[in-house]
Amino acid sequence: MAGALRAIRTAGPARPFHCRGLGGAAGPPSTRQLREAEEAAPVFQYTGKAARRKDRVFVWGFSYSGALGVPSFVKPDAGWKKPRRIQPTPYRLETEEKISSAACGYGFTLLASNTTDITKVWGTGLNKDSQLGFQRSRRDQTKGYEYVLEPSPIPLPLEKPQQTRVLQVSCGRAHSLILTDSEGVFTMGNNSYGQCGRKVIEDEIYSESYLIHQLKEFDSRVVQVACGQDHSLFRTKKGSVYACGWGADGQTGLGHYNITSVPTKLRGDIAGVNIIQVSSYGDCCLAVSDEGDVFGWGNSEYLQLASVTETTQVNVPRHLPFKIGKIKEAACGGTGNAVLTDRGELFVWGKNLRGCLGTGRMEDQYFPWRVTVPGEVVDVACGVDHMVSLVKSFT
Amino acid sequence: MAGPAGLFAVYKPAGVAWCRVREAVETRLLRELNAAPRRAPRQQIRFLPTPAPAPSGGGALELVPTRVPVLADHPLVQGPRFRRLKIGAGHRLDVKASGVFVLGIGHGNKLLTDLYNCHLTKVYTVGGLFGKATDDFSDTGKLIEKTTFDHITREKLERILAVIQGTNHKALLMYSNIDMKTQEAYELAVKGLIRPMDKSPPIITAIRCLQFALPEFQLEIHCLHETQQYLRKVVHEIGLELKSSAVCTQVRRTRDGVFTLDDALPRTQWDLRSIQDAIRNCRLKVETEIEKTLGHRDNSPVHQLDVQTAHGADS
Repeated sequence: MAGALRAIRTAGPARPFHCRGLGGAAGPPSTRQLREAEEAAPVFQYTGKAARRKDRVFVWGFSYSGALGVPSFVKPDAGWKKPRRIQPTPYRLETEEKISSAACGYGFTLLASNTTDITKVWGTGLNKDSQLGFQRSRRDQTKGYEYVLEPSPIPLPLEKPQQTRVLQVSCGRAHSLILTDSEGVFTMGNNSYGQCGRKVIEDEIYSESYLIHQLKEFDSRVVQVACGQDHSLFRTKKGSVYACGWGADGQTGLGHYNITSVPTKLRGDIAGVNIIQVSSYGDCCLAVSDEGDVFGWGNSEYLQLASVTETTQVNVPRHLPFKIGKIKEAACGGTGNAVLTDRGELFVWGKNLRGCLGTGRMEDQYFPWRVTVPGEVVDVACGVDHMVSLVKSFT
Repeated sequence: MAGPAGLFAVYKPAGVAWCRVREAVETRLLRELNAAPRRAPRQQIRFLPTPAPAPSGGGALELVPTRVPVLADHPLVQGPRFRRLKIGAGHRLDVKASGVFVLGIGHGNKLLTDLYNCHLTKVYTVGGLFGKATDDFSDTGKLIEKTTFDHITREKLERILAVIQGTNHKALLMYSNIDMKTQEAYELAVKGLIRPMDKSPPIITAIRCLQFALPEFQLEIHCLHETQQYLRKVVHEIGLELKSSAVCTQVRRTRDGVFTLDDALPRTQWDLRSIQDAIRNCRLKVETEIEKTLGHRDNSPVHQLDVQTAHGADS
């Protein structure tokens, strides 16, 4: 409303009716006087016809790791204020640019914008494994920050920084993937299992590292990235899926239980199938094909893939025969789940770890409960103990 | 002969306080009940002195047995049969609002408490006007501000209404005081039957837009534990949310629990015959509703009242 307020004055009597001076009748204003006063009142305009709906970011959950991006929760700006450990309800995060994609990892958050400016990705939260790149400390120019409390820009080694756009970001336990439209995928963070797509170096120190690896060798352009806990999945335009990282539960889907440090194409039931979406969270992975079939692989200790097999680890993608019609999208959850309806309402349920559900209560939720966000929710990213949502305002 | 007893609904016009409506109904009923023909006075045999028939007596008085009415039964001695009727009112309506207003006579007053404890929703038709903001949220108040409203579309309004409905749905679950972790709570929530069964702040269970013609609009609101001023405040807040301002021009209750506009009697029908017909028509509906909601708690008092109401209405 600030800045858009204008009073449009209409023509009327010079003085309001109650300032009658010494000449004039006493008593309450008559109907005619009231009507004239009403017509003479100025009309305020708060917004015009071409006003657009604004895009906002809301965060909630555990804040001491800095993952919410609000420094006053961890270090209050006034002496009498107390630090806020958990933000139980959605809290608005002010960002400089319009955020088009957000991802939550374990204690850190990545926000990316679709712009052609130099700064395209911001990160906040844990940085002990350089999952947010190198954040130069202001006190000591040689060291980096271990915890980032505010969304800080992540410098990417782009060839054409003013033309490339960031399409999507994804976060795992201690690593991050950034997908660009013309320069492949950038990975950073922990690589002890090869989840960043480069060779594992013994005793490598990941904190305060400048290393950002770029992955370009795929059969076609990468259109979607998904991170599990310690592995990464890449989906290309031709419909094939590549994986790398920790594989002891078979989540790389390559037929073995070893770690893979180079992105390798998956076979099994998805060989030759055009996959249109992949998803992963902990150690289980799901993929949807264009014909509406679902494929799963990875950890099945909690019977996630029990519809096809009884083994607890599935290391080759298997087709999951569900007869519920054509599947459009699949998602893997941790212990908390969130669902977005087409009217922009957000429903959550599951284990409420440190307030990650955003209901305002600390108890677990056994059936879908609506989260009140002042806007229409467009996208939501779930982490272990915090969540980030991209919201469009109502008017 | 006892007066009528039971529950019926009346259409309260706008601009009249609810107690005036209740008194008007009471006065009309009293007038008709007292105008009804009374029982014939009792007759008694009294020995009245009458002059003896001429020519034999001449002036001597004789006691003659005559049948005379008992003076104690004379209407001027007894006065009107009914001086007051116990008429109770259900959910009240304020002066500017109009609509269905439930009244109970005699034994029906006990059913009023049961209906209150059922916590049924009420349906209102609320009319609003964009562009003005007043101090008491209605169009007769003192003007505070005027704003533009040409940027408002029906789609924006429906978006705001959907959000209001969603947040109030959450309040419905929160105030119903049921343990969220049980299986019954889950099943009730899935069917949508959870309701707060004791005091709670006003909750709107459903809201939708009936008409939209700038600057006027009309909403249908289903709510619980509300006041009409709260509904006017909701209209004002809708105006604020749309970056304009709104005042409420009309609040009309179209349904109060089981009583709808069809059951409500207009002023021309506030007489004994119509009220007795209305009581008889609504009796079954009221009983089934109370039985359904409170029946599983305590069966006997409702059944007893049932019998008494039946007797009262038949006389």
